[in-house]
Amino acid sequence: MTDRLRLEGVTVRFGGLVAARDVSLAVAPGEIRGLIGPNGAGKTTLINAITGAVLVASGRVLLDGHPISGHASHQIGRRGVGRTFQHVEPFNEMTVIDNVLVGVGRRGRVPFWRAALETPAARRNEREAIAFATETLDAFGLLPYRNTRASDLPFGLLKRMDLARALAARPMLLLMDEPTSGMSESEADTAIATARELAGQRGITLLVVEHNMRVMMALADRITVMQFGAVVAEGTPTEIQRNPTVIDAYLGEEATDAGR
Amino acid sequence: MTVTLAFQLAIAGISVGSIYALVALAIVIPFKASGVLNFGQGEMVTAGAYIALVLTTLALPYPVVVLLVVLVGGLGGMLIERALIRPIIRAPEFTVVIATFAIGLLIKYAIQLRFGDSPAALDGPFGMDPLMFAGLRFNPTSVWIFVAMLLVTLAVMAFFKYARLGKAMRAVSINAEAARLMGIRVDSVWRWAWAISTAIGAFAGLLVAPVIGVNPEIGTLILRGLVAAVIGGFTSVPGAIVGGLAVGLIETFSGVLVSSTFKNLVPFIILMLLLVFRPYGLFGVADAKRV
Amino acid sequence: MSRQSLLAVFALVLLSLLGLAVGNYTTYLLNLAMIAVIAAVGLNLLTGNSGQISLCHSSFMAIGAYVSSLLGARYGLPFWASIPIAAAVAALIGGLLGFPARRLHGIYLALATLGFLQIVQIVIEEFADVTGGVRGLSVPKPVWFSALEIAPYHLYLIVAATAVFAVWTATNILASSYGREMNAVRLSPHAAQALGVAVARVKLAAFALSAAYAGVAGGLMAMVVGFIDPIEFGVGAALRQITYIVVGGMGSVAGSVIGAAVLSGLPEVLRPVREYSDLIYTLILLGFLLFMPNGLVVVWDHLRRAAWRAIDRARAR
Repeated sequence: MTDRLRLEGVTVRFGGLVAARDVSLAVAPGEIRGLIGPNGAGKTTLINAITGAVLVASGRVLLDGHPISGHASHQIGRRGVGRTFQHVEPFNEMTVIDNVLVGVGRRGRVPFWRAALETPAARRNEREAIAFATETLDAFGLLPYRNTRASDLPFGLLKRMDLARALAARPMLLLMDEPTSGMSESEADTAIATARELAGQRGITLLVVEHNMRVMMALADRITVMQFGAVVAEGTPTEIQRNPTVIDAYLGEEATDAGR
Repeated sequence: MTVTLAFQLAIAGISVGSIYALVALAIVIPFKASGVLNFGQGEMVTAGAYIALVLTTLALPYPVVVLLVVLVGGLGGMLIERALIRPIIRAPEFTVVIATFAIGLLIKYAIQLRFGDSPAALDGPFGMDPLMFAGLRFNPTSVWIFVAMLLVTLAVMAFFKYARLGKAMRAVSINAEAARLMGIRVDSVWRWAWAISTAIGAFAGLLVAPVIGVNPEIGTLILRGLVAAVIGGFTSVPGAIVGGLAVGLIETFSGVLVSSTFKNLVPFIILMLLLVFRPYGLFGVADAKRV
Repeated sequence: MSRQSLLAVFALVLLSLLGLAVGNYTTYLLNLAMIAVIAAVGLNLLTGNSGQISLCHSSFMAIGAYVSSLLGARYGLPFWASIPIAAAVAALIGGLLGFPARRLHGIYLALATLGFLQIVQIVIEEFADVTGGVRGLSVPKPVWFSALEIAPYHLYLIVAATAVFAVWTATNILASSYGREMNAVRLSPHAAQALGVAVARVKLAAFALSAAYAGVAGGLMAMVVGFIDPIEFGVGAALRQITYIVVGGMGSVAGSVIGAAVLSGLPEVLRPVREYSDLIYTLILLGFLLFMPNGLVVVWDHLRRAAWRAIDRARAR
């Protein structure tokens, strides 16, 4: 079976700085893969490289066996790669439902002139889009906020909206950048349950960057560990917890001191 | 094209290019310090020319006129920065761009109301008799413009390298937040950056007035200054100077070699080409992002 | 029929009646105001919604004016052919500008559009045997067909119908997925990209679209005024267009209408102090930028909501 996502020797450079170095990994369809590492390890850079927001200097990114690296970012999005943002990046002045409608995007899209002239076809298309968006909002408990401006929402709800928006685009691979940051314990638990359902019932493959170890261990099928832009370990949560390189990467000298 | 003609054109090109270089310099300094591009800079030049005109009619000696033009220009810049720029420094780029444009136009309209549209003449400090050197004719005013530009450039470079305020300005232009944490009064630095830039602009107006006359349309110079600044990548002082001289030379030569229509178009063609292919200029540094 | 279409018909009827009630000079002023609305609507789509600074909107009006007038003068094309063609030409050139411009933003984009404005001005001045140069171009009287002249009231109706159509289409566009994409591009290009929005293409399309509106406005203006003066398309004019949308409200069609309608009447009001009119326009622009950046449309929204509340209260009784 082809990997849903495959990175082969991906390197990303910013001027002289190497942000990701020769990264290779493979994620199976329906898998929940965790991506952890200390700050500056290159996790967000890797996500940006997969979505095409930054250039891949060398190596390849493959989606279901097809190379996507080097393609335009929006095309990668349309191919089925979705992402949520660490800092949400909402369309601030737009309402929650409009945010999600951008995710719904162009499905069944009518030509521009039909939209400009508000033809019956255009109106029908809009109604369907709104119906789908409303369903999505309902699934995330955001229906009461449908006409609220994104800028008026608290952070927790924004995170939910970010996820709803990304899912409205019906991705087959979803990259989640610190989805539980800023959440309480119970909120994080709900998030874990939602993520499991996404992967299990909807068959979406997840690549999740997380700092919350409890969430990561409970959620991930496998975990990839990065440090200084390179992959230093990979395995099941249990394996990773016991891996001395990982402990070293995260805790550094503190662990060795404490061990004495 | 004889060698003599080529040299004469080069002299003319360098002279006009020196003005563009000064305007570019005046644009780049506050841009580096505060990220604000003063689209009204052209009108500072116009203002400088008119201030010079007024002061000259008072029969003041030239060095005094220079000093006063620079002082008034600098003070004017400080006032504008404090009253109009500071409130919008955090506003979206659109607001800042349009606001500086509008401020420039205000100055122009005010000048038009006070002085009318008809051009006035202003004598250069060294008279009109050309100097002869190596068989070439040098207009003393043109020579003075070039020399003055060099002096200003050297002064500015020395300022950034050795003066406390200059070093502070460099720190602020790299990272304003870090500079603030280091105890640098960023607001004060911004105000001074503007003052220096408008002072240079006004000085450029004083220099150029004897050559092109004093009229409210002098401000259109800014367009060439902007092109020069783009060539320099908006971030380097020597780049702005090289840019200005380049624009002046290309313009002058193309006026003779191609046509006067082309001469007018040249700066904008250069601008468009640069913006498309190398928006960070020949000296600037590019980004790695892709949106 | 949708609410927008109903409002459009209502507006057209209202304007038609208004045109009957006033004299020729007021009709002329109303024409100019409605033309200003068309141009402002286009600019707002580009700047207010798609977030692209443009200092050359008036250049596309110039292209529309010159192309449609020359098609009429040289080939005898009546307005209903020459203006759409001129708008298409403007849109094409707008797209050509939008192509390199789509990778630029902020000051670089402002500079590029400023450069384009200058290039158009120079071309107008230098090709004087075609454009009439600095002295301007006389426009033949507007006709339905070869010699059938259009009566002033019918010309007014044409302008009104076009203005209503422009406002109606812009409203529809903004309410559709296309409009949402435009706003998304402005608000967060990174998120938009990740959601599959072709950011660069949207920017390019926005340039072409706004140029089309400007082209129509330019063509109509040439018809209404009977003369093309290139000064109407310089930097001052470009800034005036921006003033309309800043004062009215950026990103909203209602804002474009309010700003353009209110401010285009200003020269008339300022007649006694006309030397100061440029100055006053600029002061208004600065004032709004500093103190009321969201424009007058905010006031309009307040009034509208208050009106609906009053209606609800009356109904409840």
